[in-house]
Amino acid sequence: MSEILIKNASVCDPTQGINCEAMDICIRDGKIVDSVSGNAKVIDAEGKLTMAGGFDGHTHSAGKINVGRFMNPNDARKNLVPGLSGQVARTEKTRAQVGYNTPNTYAIGYRYAKLGYTTICEAAIPLLAARHTHEEFKEIPILDKMGLSLFGSNWQVMEYIRDKEPEKLAAYIAWGLKASRGYGVKIVNPGGGEAWGWGRNVSGLYDPVPNFDVTPAEILMGLAEANERLQLPHSVHVHCNNLGKPGNYATTIETMKLFENVKPSRDRQALHVTHVQFNAYAGTSWRDFETGAPMVADYVNGADHLTFDLGQVIFGPAVTMTADGPVEYANARMLHEKWSNQDIELEDASGVVPLFYSPKSFVNAVQWAIGLELALLVKDPWKIMFTTDSPNGGSFVNYPEAFTYLMSAKRREEVISGFSKMALDRMVLPGIDRELDFYELAVMTRSAQSKMYSMPEKGNLKVGSDADIAIYDLLPGQVDPSTEYAKVKKAFSGAAYTLKGGEIVVKDGEIEATPKGKTYWVNAKVPESIDAAMQKDIDLKFRKYYTVSKANYMVEDSYIQKPVEIDTEGVF
Amino acid sequence: MQVVKLSLKKANKIPIEADNVNPDNFAGKPAEEIRAFLVWYGNGQCPLGDLFNVEVEGSDSAENTKIVFEGDVSRVKRIGQNMSAGEIEINGNVDMHCGSNMKGGKIVINGNADSWLGCEMTGGEIILNGNASYYVGAGYRGEACGMRGGKITVNGNTKDYLGEHMCGGEILVKGDVGLLPAISNNGGKIVIEGNATIPASEMKNGTVIIKGEVSDLLPSYKEEGTEEVEGVTYRKFMGDVNVGGKGILLIR
Repeated sequence: MSEILIKNASVCDPTQGINCEAMDICIRDGKIVDSVSGNAKVIDAEGKLTMAGGFDGHTHSAGKINVGRFMNPNDARKNLVPGLSGQVARTEKTRAQVGYNTPNTYAIGYRYAKLGYTTICEAAIPLLAARHTHEEFKEIPILDKMGLSLFGSNWQVMEYIRDKEPEKLAAYIAWGLKASRGYGVKIVNPGGGEAWGWGRNVSGLYDPVPNFDVTPAEILMGLAEANERLQLPHSVHVHCNNLGKPGNYATTIETMKLFENVKPSRDRQALHVTHVQFNAYAGTSWRDFETGAPMVADYVNGADHLTFDLGQVIFGPAVTMTADGPVEYANARMLHEKWSNQDIELEDASGVVPLFYSPKSFVNAVQWAIGLELALLVKDPWKIMFTTDSPNGGSFVNYPEAFTYLMSAKRREEVISGFSKMALDRMVLPGIDRELDFYELAVMTRSAQSKMYSMPEKGNLKVGSDADIAIYDLLPGQVDPSTEYAKVKKAFSGAAYTLKGGEIVVKDGEIEATPKGKTYWVNAKVPESIDAAMQKDIDLKFRKYYTVSKANYMVEDSYIQKPVEIDTEGVF
Repeated sequence: MQVVKLSLKKANKIPIEADNVNPDNFAGKPAEEIRAFLVWYGNGQCPLGDLFNVEVEGSDSAENTKIVFEGDVSRVKRIGQNMSAGEIEINGNVDMHCGSNMKGGKIVINGNADSWLGCEMTGGEIILNGNASYYVGAGYRGEACGMRGGKITVNGNTKDYLGEHMCGGEILVKGDVGLLPAISNNGGKIVIEGNATIPASEMKNGTVIIKGEVSDLLPSYKEEGTEEVEGVTYRKFMGDVNVGGKGILLIR
């Protein structure tokens, strides 16, 4: 029995409505409890900012990131954020680390922990490549992990939607989650991945997918229905059509509107729209490109059924990686960059392209502003999850830098002062003076996630929750984030303490211990008769089309480290 | 003037990484201090004095410091890395990455050089009185830019990928070069007095002059008349059109 008592912490826990109040936190056997014995190890937090462990709900940290590593051996030596990037020799406690945007697996675990993050959600697992994702998960230390499985351009999904077989569709989703040991349903450019197989794309919600006679709107609604039928803990997680194209904010709002009538089966949103920064562009071409954030924020402010994450841009090198194959082709052609393209057989496409966000480019400057505009114009922080879509908008090691943008208008002005007039004309950010406080930041980085992913034991400091805790070397009353942003950045860059499951993993910004994290996956129950009928259909798919057999396709238990199975009951 | 003479005590089979052996580090230092410099030898570090005989004459600034390697150092890597002034003379063969990331000064090699000679250099001069291996003046794996400035003169032949991803500076090769010289170039000037095979593929910018024979010239160049350089008339090609390049390739 191990006990820890965190004394005199300045606790910020939005789930309980606690806003920087002096409190003690008691921990026993990895959980937060009411009280501990006198033998408990004491951590004196002396008024330091204390939050639940951070939760990155959308990051590319296992799977496709490996293609990024192949393509960017030069990334291994980049050290743009000292202490959180570059080459670090192994120590007694840690393995060797390299990289910035595409660090090695160990570095991902250590660096997230240093930022005070304890849970990550891999944003895209192709079912076919799920084993690889889990092999990487195994080698990411400290963090709890889960992943979202890709269903948006899947043949079987589209056939069931076309043939109006919602029950079999739900059974297939349940099987797909089991096959890939995934946590939720990810939809990337619905239909676009299949169209890309023919060198094409879908142009919007009502453009039929070649050879399948279904539209992206039907795919979205079909999957949402199945998602709610299975009572999955997370809503559908949607990367909208037309990502990265000027004028796409209209598609984004249209997609959001589609979901107004979807009734969530649990106490959470009906739709999560991801990296909205890339989907909030106005204008008709790159010449008259401008921010569409005010329109999107306006809609979100009046809607209650959805949440979103930012996909904030960080200036400097980034690596875009997505299942949205046509977008990556466009990127590579436009930027004359390296391009990797992959066909995921019956399931999706994917691509990887490295790029560089420059404050001198007006397009990049406006992209940078759009992320912040979304965060600041949407009034309710509970609808927002902070992400950079790492490493698409920039590496997660820049989170502390990005927090200063959110918390300080002065810091934003500093950056904005380097922009061209053309860029300033295309954004609304200079007119926004809102500054987030620690409470709102805690909502966006941990507490909102807890609700979005139906994980009551994460993202909060309630009694009974997991003892994943970050203590930052920052005295909330005495530091004014709007002027002393350098202090804020420094504190968030290396937690004074990070506790994972009641174990001290980071102390004074250095790794103390590297326990293995858990892997969450969802097992949705489906009536046997429906499952059997569905299995017949996929058996045919494996016989006729797949390059692997079904037996070799499933992710087996041996691939999963410390599995946590979340059971749900499908309604049929 | 300060002269530092280094000679291997014993020929080494396991490579030595002499990445801190340059005039900037040695200037003004007595022999004992130079002997104490730690270099990587295999997977461990050891003092330079354990591997080399070190003799020092005089004491001066980096500009007036000369390092002389006596004898073969064909298993000593990264000599002159990051140097910004002074001179290094190598009287023998040298291993990979000699003069990499060099900013200034001069390296003279009286022998052959292994791969990555002068990779990513931004200034200074390298004179090689022998043959070079692969990737002379090239870039780190995956990087978009290799050599950016300075000059490399090879008074012998080189192997493949000469000046890969070069963005500036000048390379002169008196002998023949291997496959794909000037691949993906984006600036700078390469003069090859001997023969070359498949030159300047995917070149975006820069100038390549080949005085000898060219084998397998890619079809992705536009011929645009002739140009005279130093009294010699060359056929002028622009390309590589596959990448919208505006590089100039002059061949006979």
